Amino acid sequence: MNWSGAYTWINLNYLLQGLWITIQISVISIILSSIFGAILGIIRYSKISKVSAFVGFLVDIVRNLPLLLILFFSYFGLPQIGIRFSTFSAAIFAFTIFESAMLAEIFRSGLEAVDKGQTEAARSNGLTYLQTLRYIVFPQGLKKMIAPIVSQFISLVKDTSLATIILLPDLMQRAQVIYGQDTNYMIPIFILVAATYFVVNYLLSLFAGFIDRRLKN
Amino acid sequence: MSLISFKNVGKSYGEFKALKDINLDINQGQIVSIIGPSGSGKSTLLRTMNGLEEINEGQLIVDDHDLSNPKVDINKLRKDVGMVFQHFNLYANKTILENITLAPRIVLKENTKQAEQNAMKLLEMVGLKDQANKYPSQLSGGQQQRIAIARSLAMKPKAILFDEPTSALDPEMIGDVLNVMKEVAGQDMTMVVVTHEMGFAREVGDRIIFMDSGQILEDSNDPKAFFKKPKEPRAQQFLSKVIGH
Ligand SMILES: Nc1ncnc2c1ncn2[C@@H]1O[C@H](COP(=O)(O)OP(=O)(O)OP(=O)(O)O)[C@@H](O)[C@H]1O
Ligand SMILES: [Mg+2]
Repeated sequence: MNWSGAYTWINLNYLLQGLWITIQISVISIILSSIFGAILGIIRYSKISKVSAFVGFLVDIVRNLPLLLILFFSYFGLPQIGIRFSTFSAAIFAFTIFESAMLAEIFRSGLEAVDKGQTEAARSNGLTYLQTLRYIVFPQGLKKMIAPIVSQFISLVKDTSLATIILLPDLMQRAQVIYGQDTNYMIPIFILVAATYFVVNYLLSLFAGFIDRRLKN
Repeated sequence: MSLISFKNVGKSYGEFKALKDINLDINQGQIVSIIGPSGSGKSTLLRTMNGLEEINEGQLIVDDHDLSNPKVDINKLRKDVGMVFQHFNLYANKTILENITLAPRIVLKENTKQAEQNAMKLLEMVGLKDQANKYPSQLSGGQQQRIAIARSLAMKPKAILFDEPTSALDPEMIGDVLNVMKEVAGQDMTMVVVTHEMGFAREVGDRIIFMDSGQILEDSNDPKAFFKKPKEPRAQQFLSKVIGH
């Protein structure tokens, strides 16, 4: 084991740039999939006969595919039909599709967990369907969703390491490059990378706890 | 001119007929009590009146809105017909004050100040002025139900529908809720009340509807006479059971 050789400034800087890519990929995918997931989840919850059924069908398909397959599809498959992405975009595309489906299901079940009496009361009070959703059902559902949403985000951050396989130069891929030079670097680099993922995800869950407390006040 | 008018109305859940050939006219200002055994269709009947349940047969007109027409603007009707539920159903994510002002602000487009002033008056009327900034979960059932009534009143409706408003309450809280309902009845409100409170039905009501297996078996404009001796044997049976308790 060679700690000082593994932890040179050059290597640390190289890893830091990988971390930056991991964070960018994660944040962009989280934002995009939150938007799409919420929309899809609401459509599925709303039971607009055919549309909701169709969305449900797509969501169920995607949720039951391995993420790696979706990643390969967007990086290797899409160019076959003329859609070409950079590695970065292909990764975001794949993660957004997968996470949107996972989040759609969380949104749907969170909304469905809200007592039906709340909807009946709001509708009887003269609110339209969308007003009821916006002022009553969605805010109440959101409280129930925070925990599963955050664990989904945490799995996303971890899953970004899969993009190593399409040679996205993220934290994990750069770690491989470094210990590829010398196996004595392997354990020190593993430890450092593990600690980094832990810190990022731990901060994420602290932030979630903060939001959760604010919503529950 | 009646506010609520049923003509040969039927309602089924699949094969099961929950309402059969309902004919009923309720006038503005009437206090109507609906009584009958469990499963007789009381809630279903009440919930058709603001479109929470759709009807399958006949014609139902409420405040000039034809509920048998699938194109009816149900939200418009609901501005004028409030509902109070057995389990209160106050908005869990809103304070008491917000529970009362939400619909006036959003649906009636009242400004916040006006809506809040009105809400405070209603809170005073139901005796809960000091609870304005609490959340529903911090209140007792009886308090929540009085807020639910205030929430309905804030829309200045023509009618309020009550579905067993006191059935989920501890006995010592029933009186407070009934007192508020009596006060509302005194303001010339149209009220349709599904209830097991025979005292309220007899003393405050103008009219008794007795239901059994989806039908209106007896419709009496003289509650005192009804409670002395109903005409229908099924109603007699029912009364001897509930009053015998
Ligand atoms: N959504 C539904 N699907 C199928 N059957 C239903 C549904 N809602 C009500 N019913 C049936 O319709 C009948 C009338 O129900 P309803 O709730 O109107 O009775 P009720 O007189 O209010 O009884 P209770 O005093 O117990 O509240 C019952 O037999 C009930 O099982
Ligand atoms: Mg009922």
